[in-house]
Amino acid sequence: MTDNNPDKGYVAILGWSLNAIDAIDRFDRRYIIVAPEWAEEYARENDIPFISWNFERINDRSFEIAQRLKDEGVDVAVPLFEETVEWAGAINSVLLDNPRLMGQALLFRDKALMKRRAQLGGIRVGIFEEAHDKSDVIHFLRRVNQALLKLDGDPNDPIHLKAFDKAGCLGHRVVRTADDVDNIPDEEFPALMESHLDGWEFAVEAFIKDRKIQFLNISEYVTLGYSVFVPATPDLEKWRPRVTEEIEKLIETFDIDFGFIHPEYFVTNDGKMYFGEVAYRPPGFQAFELIERAYGFNAYQAMVMMFDPKTTQQEMDAFFPKPVADAKGHAGCFGVYPKRRVISELAIPDETENHPYFEFHELPSPMENKVPKRTAFGTHWGLLHFFGDDPYQLRDLLKKQEELDFYV
Amino acid sequence: MHAVTAPGDIDPLEEKLTHALHALEQARPFAKMRHQGALLDLSARLLQREGGLERLHALATRMDRAGLFAGTDWDTPAALLPGLVRHTLEQGAKQTVVLEILSQLRMLALAKGEAEHPNLTAQQARHFLTQVLALNLARIFAAASEAERVRLGGMAPVVDHLFHFLLDEIGYQQILGNLIEEVWRILAQRPIQLDHVKSMITQISIVMSQGGVDLGENRLGADRLVSALFGPTQGCLDDPGLAAYRQRLDAMDRTSLQQEAYGFARAMHDTGLVSDYHAVLVRWLLGNEQGELLPDALGLSSTGVDVLRSYQQLVHHLIEEAIHPRTAQTLYGLAMMLERCILYAPPIAPALWRQLALRVSANTGTLLGNTLGRDLAPEQQLLAGVISLLGLPLGVGQGNNPTCQAARALSMWSYNDPDYLLHIIAHAARFDGLVMHFEGAPLHSARLLAAHPSPSVLDTDPVSILLVPHLDAIYNEMGRLCAHRGEDPHRWINPEFHGWWVGRAFVIAVDVASGKLINFDAFLRQFYASYHPYYNGNQPLIHPQPAGIAVTDSRAQFVGWHAITIIRVALDQENVMRVYFFNPNNDSGQDWGNGVVVSTQGQGERYGESSLPFEQLASRLYIFHDDPTEELDEFDVPGEEIQRARELAVNSWAVNRLSPKS
Repeated sequence: MTDNNPDKGYVAILGWSLNAIDAIDRFDRRYIIVAPEWAEEYARENDIPFISWNFERINDRSFEIAQRLKDEGVDVAVPLFEETVEWAGAINSVLLDNPRLMGQALLFRDKALMKRRAQLGGIRVGIFEEAHDKSDVIHFLRRVNQALLKLDGDPNDPIHLKAFDKAGCLGHRVVRTADDVDNIPDEEFPALMESHLDGWEFAVEAFIKDRKIQFLNISEYVTLGYSVFVPATPDLEKWRPRVTEEIEKLIETFDIDFGFIHPEYFVTNDGKMYFGEVAYRPPGFQAFELIERAYGFNAYQAMVMMFDPKTTQQEMDAFFPKPVADAKGHAGCFGVYPKRRVISELAIPDETENHPYFEFHELPSPMENKVPKRTAFGTHWGLLHFFGDDPYQLRDLLKKQEELDFYV
Repeated sequence: MHAVTAPGDIDPLEEKLTHALHALEQARPFAKMRHQGALLDLSARLLQREGGLERLHALATRMDRAGLFAGTDWDTPAALLPGLVRHTLEQGAKQTVVLEILSQLRMLALAKGEAEHPNLTAQQARHFLTQVLALNLARIFAAASEAERVRLGGMAPVVDHLFHFLLDEIGYQQILGNLIEEVWRILAQRPIQLDHVKSMITQISIVMSQGGVDLGENRLGADRLVSALFGPTQGCLDDPGLAAYRQRLDAMDRTSLQQEAYGFARAMHDTGLVSDYHAVLVRWLLGNEQGELLPDALGLSSTGVDVLRSYQQLVHHLIEEAIHPRTAQTLYGLAMMLERCILYAPPIAPALWRQLALRVSANTGTLLGNTLGRDLAPEQQLLAGVISLLGLPLGVGQGNNPTCQAARALSMWSYNDPDYLLHIIAHAARFDGLVMHFEGAPLHSARLLAAHPSPSVLDTDPVSILLVPHLDAIYNEMGRLCAHRGEDPHRWINPEFHGWWVGRAFVIAVDVASGKLINFDAFLRQFYASYHPYYNGNQPLIHPQPAGIAVTDSRAQFVGWHAITIIRVALDQENVMRVYFFNPNNDSGQDWGNGVVVSTQGQGERYGESSLPFEQLASRLYIFHDDPTEELDEFDVPGEEIQRARELAVNSWAVNRLSPKS
């Protein structure tokens, strides 16, 4: 274990992620992992400081864990997963003696509240509404398309349906017709409905300390749910000043003193930026790993630094590279979904395997031949990693992967 | 263009590998697993590049320390078993094969003292590698077997390279005993292509000359190999060099010359190896009007002498053109060609005169020069190859060519139809193409190759280098023409491709659509009734017949379909009825599992033949040809013989192929 720096804080990490623990163990802050009891034995065997805790809904006992961490001498709690964001808010409101943090966390956890707050803060958002059952969805779909002056029989513009409190693409559905509505299971309600925005969707990773953006990365989606790469192409990086302004609005609106946020935006064809949603935790699709590959700094360590009240500006200035200019190349990954219903083996196509940008894959060999049917956006089977100099070539390469079969 | 700094001239793959290695090094022990796969993936790709193995050898210790083996059996090198290496390399998943290769490289670094390991001394590491090499000699001698080729794909050459690399680094001394036995086993099959074997013997001799090696009972065998190659006679016992030996010949009296001739001939027929000095002697004899010693120098029997006397001028011309120290091995082919008496067939001698006068095309010249070197004219290389192939029809091997059909055809023509072989050689060498007919329509190899060029064939003889691309192109085209017929294409290809003597009845044990056995008992019964002398009226096989076998590995598991030639069926010295056959694989001694071990010597085999007891061969057979005009008496074949062959089949390759129609 690295010697801890006594001048720095003691952090509690909420959630179990080996990548995160590995990175933080190598960092100079003292830490303790707070995670469910199934991880306890593994943690003990590997000398990982550990407190066992089951993150269910916030309840009376939440104060108990906050007090326990306070007694332990912990300065701040860092959430790793969507489900632990409200816990971090609750715990930090105790540790930092700032009740506002609890309310802030709840904003991040509820997509409808989040949108409303953004709208109140003067941030441009699409049309949205909450749905409590299928009839709400039908109604919203009809109203949106009426507003678009569609006649009966014209193909509908789609709407999006998202669970209130799930990360990323989990529970995200695209709805076009009444049949689509029929296919939504009742347990997915309540949910958030949004109008569809035609345009360029991308994500931002912003490291924030003292209400200031310390490092801002733009992740370019090639195709939502399939592929992403960092840093973005110059075409998208051109928007960086506007993006920075928007993030500053979020900092004001959501009253963010410190931490890490991961918002998604749309740029529409007429050049307007729309806010999609924001999360207060590491993004999916291994975006942290991509940032590390491109820039060489570890994003989990950076995140810990953002939360730690004892971090100095000097330390951060030394830690972060210059965005885009300091990147060693562009790192991207592609999520593979089997394309056939029946498969027998994993076969990386030669054109992928032999491409100089290709790094490695994390695709498992199939355990059974039948591919389960995807609902909503579903989860990919594993990621392919790429790294190279030219963002356009990388983008086209990631796009190209969509045509290929990785399971035959 | 873009502000991102380019990695400059660092190779992208090297950069990625270095990054993955760095990530693994940094990771805490509990997180190593996540980074191992990426490093193995990247190593696999680097291994397949020129110089990749050497590069990874330099990195192997660092990879070991970084934790590449953490959480696997390879993490405790002291507990690794040399006997498992082969199985891993042949049967492992790709990542496991790469892990094994990197483990060997790590062992090598330990053995050489370039690195240290808490649980393994340099001496232990060296001992481990020695055993691995000794246990994988077959691999060192020849290219991969079908089993490995199919299994490993792009990694097969890497595994070959690994073994040679280890051998160079560890040295031959440790594994000499096994090596010597292996050399003798290979030589007993009298292959045409002996470069591997000769380089092994050279290594053996270097080690022996350094002294201090205890070879035990192998001493005699090793001495014979080394002397046969470097000093088989009194005159060159001290390996004086070719020029010095030539001078000595000038000073010898006739008795000494005769002794030299006897000595060379004995060594040649004893081992199948020809010394470069032997070529010097033969050329000297003809150049100094001592041609009457030629029969002694070739070690000819009265039959061979008869042929030599009948075609003296032709043979002298063949020697003048084709026999040089560089092609000394051709002398053995020449001797065997004379013994086969094929010169008495009317077309052969004139065809050889055509071969002597032949001027090859520019393309053929380039092709032969690129693969065989340019010390000799391409015409001379080709002629030497022709003589060797005519003398040793069963000595041809498929080299690195994954398809065995062409090698089998060359062998069959040399054996059975040598004037046709000479015809197509001359044609291809001059016109860069062959024409064969399929169901009345001509197929032009030149046009087919123009559309689908094929890679050069390596590690094989000059005739194969010339002809195999053309033959493969035609064979593939025939396959394409029958692809839609829903039956095994060999039904139509084999007779048209090989010759009129291939039986027109085509018997197959497998239903092509389902891959299941079909009418297997009837298949076996027909094979017995047609080929087994006890049940076919004691009729010996007249012409070599193509056949298809299901190759199995040493665990009796199915590997793939393979082409062989059935040459004859006869009793061995222990009164076991055996099928003697030709396998175009480079080394025919193979273990097919469940006790089915192909024999290449000691069971009545002639040079180059493989053999199995009749029922064992029948158990691996899935295609044979038969003459439909013969009336077979299938009821003579005892049911228990069929049953035994059937059981051997369904317990090996056919285990998952049973159906109601089987």
